[in-house]
Amino acid sequence: MGKDILLKVSGLHASVGEKEILRGIDLEIRKGEVHAVMGPNGSGKSTLSSVLTGKPDYTVTGGSVYFNGEDLLAMKPEERSWAGLFMSFQYPVEIPGVTITNFMKSALDARRKAHGQEPLSGAEYLRLLREKMASVGMKPEFAKREVNVGFSGGEKKRNEIFQMAMLDPVLSILDETDSGLDVDALKIVASGVNALRSPEKSSIIITHYQKLLDYVKPDVVHVLKEGKIVLTGGLEIIEMIEKEGFDRF
Amino acid sequence: MGKVVDHGNYVPAAIPSQALQAGRGEVLDKVYVLDGNSCPQIPAAVVVDADASVRLTFIALPGSRADISLDVFIRGPHSDVSLSGVFVESGDDSISLNVNMRHLSPDCTSDQLFNTLASGSSRFDFHGKIIVAPEGQKTESFQTNRNILLSDEAQVLTKPQLEIYADDVKCSHGATIGRLNEEEQFYMRSRGIPENEARGLQMLSFISPVLDRLPSGSDIPGRLEQAIRSL
Ligand SMILES: Nc1ncnc2c1ncn2[C@@H]1O[C@H](COP(=O)(O)OP(=O)(O)OP(=O)(O)O)[C@@H](O)[C@H]1O
Ligand SMILES: [Mg+2]
Repeated sequence: MGKDILLKVSGLHASVGEKEILRGIDLEIRKGEVHAVMGPNGSGKSTLSSVLTGKPDYTVTGGSVYFNGEDLLAMKPEERSWAGLFMSFQYPVEIPGVTITNFMKSALDARRKAHGQEPLSGAEYLRLLREKMASVGMKPEFAKREVNVGFSGGEKKRNEIFQMAMLDPVLSILDETDSGLDVDALKIVASGVNALRSPEKSSIIITHYQKLLDYVKPDVVHVLKEGKIVLTGGLEIIEMIEKEGFDRF
Repeated sequence: MGKVVDHGNYVPAAIPSQALQAGRGEVLDKVYVLDGNSCPQIPAAVVVDADASVRLTFIALPGSRADISLDVFIRGPHSDVSLSGVFVESGDDSISLNVNMRHLSPDCTSDQLFNTLASGSSRFDFHGKIIVAPEGQKTESFQTNRNILLSDEAQVLTKPQLEIYADDVKCSHGATIGRLNEEEQFYMRSRGIPENEARGLQMLSFISPVLDRLPSGSDIPGRLEQAIRSL
């Protein structure tokens, strides 16, 4: 495997119960690349994200996934996070009784521990928290709110981007993070992704809309349909889909 | 919950001679901790006079066995009773809790909140009855029992009941039995929080409404947290 490959998915099959949803996915992402994944509703985009991040509901029935040369499918969800994988959820989950401050502190401490580092001091942590909240335009009072509880749709998405900024991932998967966002929030998501852009880091942007891709120009575009990648190419695909929909695939 | 008004056969219960007394205007705030080795003397009955305020909290740490029966007689107006509890069970622990909240006087309030975490092959039984006598007009009485099963072998039986003989009251009761939410767990784990710790955060969040009622400076939240992390 070439040194610059960050993620290599080969012949990936996954099911829920008896139902096969991913039917042989091949995907190669190099360091520094941004990939867009488009496809009709129900084609398996979120399932692919969930399988990559290790959601227990899905059973992998075939294929392999290597992340930075490591067998991703053998890792627990938390180990995948420590290795630098992040997913912005299409439907962020509410965690009653756990504040954003405590949630992110637990997340950062656990990762630092896994890497043999001391936890951040309270003051260092709060400084980081405030800085990252400000960078995504979240009001400071959100720090004390319970994670996603009572958040508006847009606020939840913004919270995902905040967490992404805190965790500084190597590979970010954004599952329809742009859906339901106003123009300003969309720009924040775009600048969040662009801020992480570096020769070492990559992202997968799942979207139904051209808008976000205007701000974050992907290097590669894939079309996912019925659990398979049916087309891979460049920006021209986005325009084609915009004009003709997915019927031609 | 709708009102069940039963104008029929209200039978007053006799007040036992051995009872914890909250005299007129008195404020009582007691915490009973069961921690396996020691089981405190829990009164079988509480008598509450006018304008009194009674708050009793029950905490069970793993390794406890108990059979708690509590009859509360609210017999003077404008008094308030709050009962709450956290029961953390493991192994073959067994706790049964039997509460009769008797509103015998008008204009009183009472509230009950019991949260149980049952692991291992432990067992929790709750029988809770709110009884509003014909004299208990303008009563407000609430009762909640929430339970989380942490294993397939743990058992919970919960039976909340209302017996209301007055027509101008606000009463409700509710009970739930469930498991820790797996969507929440996956969300936390995807952020790098290990599974054990994610479960710990969920359990602490589950008991926190009761902890909020404890006097500040209490060492109980710390002890419960430690117990939960060892489940
Ligand atoms: N846990 C599950 N149980 C049953 N079916 C599931 C489950 N998860 C996904 N599916 C099914 O798998 C298919 C793919 O779903 P998925 O959420 O991956 O689609 P998607 O491409 O993300 O769609 P959208 O654009 O609407 O977000 C759908 O038919 C969906 O109903
Ligand atoms: Mg989806």
